Amino acid sequence: MSARASLGIDPEELASCVACGLCLPHCPTFRVTGEEWASPRGRISAMRQVQDQGAAIDQAFLSSMDTCVQCRGCEPACPSGVPFGSMMEATQAELARRRRVDWRQWGFRVLGHPWLLNLFSRGLAVGQRLRLVPSRRLGLPKIPLRQHRLRVSGDDVWLFTGCVMDAWQRSTHAAVKRVVEAAGAGVALPGAAAGCCGALSLHAGLEGHSRALAVRTMRALEGSAPILVDSAGCGAVLKEYGKHLGTPAAVAFSKRVMDVHEWLAARADRLPSALEGGQDLTIAVHDPCHLRHVQRAHQPVTEVLTPFATVVALDDDGLCCGAGGAYAAMQPELAAAIRERKLEAIRRSGADIVASANPGCTIHLANAGVAVRHPLEIVDEMVDYDH
Amino acid sequence: MRLRRTTGTDPLVEDLCRVLPAERVRAAPLERSIMGRDSSIFEGGQAGPVCFPISTEEVQGCVDAARRHGRAVVPRGAGTGLAGGAVPLDEPVVVVTTKMNRLVSLDADQRVAWVQPGMINLDLSRAVAAHGLHFAPDPSSQQVCSLGGNVGTNAGGPHCLAHGVTSAHVLAVEVVLMSGESVVLGDADGFAPGLDLRGAYVGSEGMMGITTAVAVRLTPNPPAVQTILLAFDTVDAAAQTVSAVIADGIVPAAIEMMDRNIIWAVENFVGAGFPTDAAAVVIVEVDGLPGGVEAEADRVGELAIERGGRVRRAADDQERALLWKGRKSAFGAIAQIKPNYYLHDTVVPRTRLAEVMNRVYEIVDEHDLQVMNVFHAGDGNLHPLLLYDRREPGIMARVHAAGSAIIEASLAAGGVLSGEHGIGIEKRDFMQLMFSEADLDAQSRLRRAFDPDEMANPGKVLPTGASCADVNALEKVPEGVWG
Repeated sequence: MSARASLGIDPEELASCVACGLCLPHCPTFRVTGEEWASPRGRISAMRQVQDQGAAIDQAFLSSMDTCVQCRGCEPACPSGVPFGSMMEATQAELARRRRVDWRQWGFRVLGHPWLLNLFSRGLAVGQRLRLVPSRRLGLPKIPLRQHRLRVSGDDVWLFTGCVMDAWQRSTHAAVKRVVEAAGAGVALPGAAAGCCGALSLHAGLEGHSRALAVRTMRALEGSAPILVDSAGCGAVLKEYGKHLGTPAAVAFSKRVMDVHEWLAARADRLPSALEGGQDLTIAVHDPCHLRHVQRAHQPVTEVLTPFATVVALDDDGLCCGAGGAYAAMQPELAAAIRERKLEAIRRSGADIVASANPGCTIHLANAGVAVRHPLEIVDEMVDYDH
Repeated sequence: MRLRRTTGTDPLVEDLCRVLPAERVRAAPLERSIMGRDSSIFEGGQAGPVCFPISTEEVQGCVDAARRHGRAVVPRGAGTGLAGGAVPLDEPVVVVTTKMNRLVSLDADQRVAWVQPGMINLDLSRAVAAHGLHFAPDPSSQQVCSLGGNVGTNAGGPHCLAHGVTSAHVLAVEVVLMSGESVVLGDADGFAPGLDLRGAYVGSEGMMGITTAVAVRLTPNPPAVQTILLAFDTVDAAAQTVSAVIADGIVPAAIEMMDRNIIWAVENFVGAGFPTDAAAVVIVEVDGLPGGVEAEADRVGELAIERGGRVRRAADDQERALLWKGRKSAFGAIAQIKPNYYLHDTVVPRTRLAEVMNRVYEIVDEHDLQVMNVFHAGDGNLHPLLLYDRREPGIMARVHAAGSAIIEASLAAGGVLSGEHGIGIEKRDFMQLMFSEADLDAQSRLRRAFDPDEMANPGKVLPTGASCADVNALEKVPEGVWG
């Protein structure tokens, strides 16, 4: 794969970086490698050389692009507001078009078919019990053998259930649903009508596939009720459907999307009080990148947790943990090195348990032995439902 | 951390791979061209092999390999220099210190730490914060720039007004000379006998050797701090207030000024409540014992109000941090207006600040350009940023003409060429405006006392013809280096 061509990046976006370097310390791959081509500034420089100066798309270029976690931690750090995520998505889309065979397509297609994903997941769960699946090496959590059914309790809000999270962590959805119901809302569920939000396909540059998933998701979550999301990565993409699809319907859809903590923080007074003794627990809040950097809505997690426990912030400026959707599987060495920095920050915090509002981070951190839960699972256990 | 293996048939690369693991020697064309620039205006520098050593011995090995192949060596830290000091010319071996980023030792009682050169400035202050200490020089890029580069440029920062620039905080440096020898200049205990070679080395912009460790002096955190934001309707009133504060006998920890255009861009990014209707704002920080700080803060407010200023005090650490975040992200915020900037760094006598600034405004009008000013007003260190879009035909000629005129106006007012960013490539050819032939020859001979063959970061700082050494290969900045 070596040819001269445009990457399809908006030229104004590409010109908008002054190369000041203020993004560098906020980039997890620069932080662990110290290498310029593994930084946002270096990656933009590489994109310019290909798109503006006709440099070849070679191994060095692919490595620079594919090592990006797409955490978008560089965006809030940039005083000039360079839209790095959008440039990286355009680049990945062009690279995907050039790959003749892309095995990732097959993997991500499964995510679009809940029944297939469920079948696969149950097989994986049985394999884990029979010790036929090297879960640790593959970075897999313990997948449940049986799926508890979630039941619709009203139509005040939608709870977006997604794909992998629904197949592997449905108990988290159940906890989230109980907390939302306790705040006084009836919850509607898309069931099998919606599946994957398209985030992984979008980040891998599989534009057609991500669009198709977006259209299906929008159709499944119809009406005007708020759409609550308990996975930060999915929420970020759902909020950007308007930008990606560019249709009025998509713009209107994205406006309905809220991270579930945003919705709850605005209704904190409606939640029941905490059980006695709850405050004894010290919780470190891990901000998922797509909640903090993309949705810029990480504060509500702390607000929601505060009545139920002692909450401490990590001191690493919200640097990525290295999970990055499929990143931990594609770039295991870098993902582990990035995680090591996060583990140090968690140790410094002295917390008993870590709260993470994104399933990918939860799995990635749990694989390193961290006690990590979804924030609303913690609330669910602490809330005194009888009052 | 391995990203990708490099295999090369270049004998120099092969030699370097005997010193370092192959994954830390990078020579792909894309990698070399990414290393071709730093945060300065220069584009199109061309690096040779790029090395990432992790120890003094590995740096020595890189230097030895480069010497055997007759190749120059350019040190690079985070690459945030503003004068092109780390821009490689003629494919030198680039030695990147970012993987040498550890705090080696800390003596909190003596307030001395040995650090590796790739350690980020702010990371050092964070690492010693638990001991109530910090590293005083705080360049605006402190969250990313590394200490090796701070030593190289003798970096300043807003808080250097009271505490002094980098040289005042460096007790000793370990340097790998171009002979491959490792030497320590200065003494971590502060008792270096003989000539102050450490003093000669700090600010030498990589032209005497490669810094492999630094003994830094740490500063106790002040017991009390007040940060005051002053807003003025005219630049003159702002400049007069700055002079009045100093004349009053107050030595604030920092006095920073920003003018109208930059206030807007900064406020748009941080939302710290900077008054976008003001012609200029001044941030004054006073620190020390609580009683004195209160009195000084009150007096600063009075002096500003007498000159028509509006006064706001930061209520808490959070508000203070936001004001500083705004000030320190100013250069990076430029692309909200234009994608490129050419930054100057002249220093003028404080009493002539307003006069020189007004001249700067006239100059940019004459050349039909836009300018923003954000600078260390307390020590008269101007930072006019000329804004442009390099894609606009003929723009570079105007930018350079305006830049030269600004430098001439500053020197004519009794100023100097550079306050803190260094000379690098960018101001090299202006050195003759400031120094005589004899001055430049003396500087060149000092440099050659450390690096007789001029293999350490050649082509920087000293204009060609400044000495009788053979510098034919670098007679001028190569074509295309100017963006």
